[in-house]
Amino acid sequence: MPVRPFFSLSPQVVSSLIIITALSIFFIIMGRKISKVKPTETPKGLLFLVVFLTEMFIGMVKPYMPGKRFAIYAPYLFSIFIYLAFANTVALFGLMAPLSNIGVAMSFTLITFVMLKFTELKFIGLKQKLKNVFLGHVWQLFPIMLPINLIGEISTPMTMGIRLFGNLVSGAVISAFVYAVAGAFFGIFAGVLLHSIFDVFFGLIQAFVFFMLSMVNLSMASDAS
Amino acid sequence: MFETVFNSVVRFMAEYNQFFTDGLKYLGAGVAVIAGIGPGIGQGYAAGKAAEAVGRQPEARGTIISTTLVTAALAETTGLYGLLVAIFLLFVV
Repeated sequence: MPVRPFFSLSPQVVSSLIIITALSIFFIIMGRKISKVKPTETPKGLLFLVVFLTEMFIGMVKPYMPGKRFAIYAPYLFSIFIYLAFANTVALFGLMAPLSNIGVAMSFTLITFVMLKFTELKFIGLKQKLKNVFLGHVWQLFPIMLPINLIGEISTPMTMGIRLFGNLVSGAVISAFVYAVAGAFFGIFAGVLLHSIFDVFFGLIQAFVFFMLSMVNLSMASDAS
Repeated sequence: MFETVFNSVVRFMAEYNQFFTDGLKYLGAGVAVIAGIGPGIGQGYAAGKAAEAVGRQPEARGTIISTTLVTAALAETTGLYGLLVAIFLLFVV
């Protein structure tokens, strides 16, 4: 059931804020506990899980981000991955999935676009970047390549956001239809099947795809070629 | 000649009401989902290649399966565009 507070935010944005608050508190507490653990003793319990997750994640990111780019981008990528993994599966707990709102999905587009522009300005420089977009390698092809390059700049973040939105909204629409037809009792059994496919399976795969695509695009953009 | 054109335009404007737009909306939504053929073929091809790779080297099953799922999710995007157009036509327009 959607949560509708008195100050009229849409229910998906409320879910998003709840997830952000809960994840922030959890990871801040884990960070303080990590800084108190001595290097010689093994962590136990939940701390061990977090350390294992971070090690696995560092192993995935290290081949793409050599040098000092790792320290800049690895926290951003980890936050994106954890937030998307939780945001896509929170429909199991009764909140509405945040990414089924077009505003939340487009905010991911905006974040990715700003990160890519910041990366290009920092590692390639403004003049070289303008030369790549407007002239390219063969300057005689300028009238054809200019629209293609401009569209390519905007389309890469846009498809990443739309991919997330489309996967989540199709799950929400089909769930709404099935719940309306099945009623209260049979809806539980149908809901188990629907949520396990659309939210858990597709949602986690889409989170991983977004993370991989962000990593590859940032790695390509910061590679001064 | 002009009179037949004028008569048909007048008849079109007389019949243009909410039923007409609703009917064309549903028709457009149905045509838009034909774009689902693309991911069907593409992801089926990827799955076939994955099965072949597992047959050639059964020890690498885990890596092959996760790579297949990730690349199939990437190929799904254009089919989703068709679904988004259909949903937009049905519920927003």
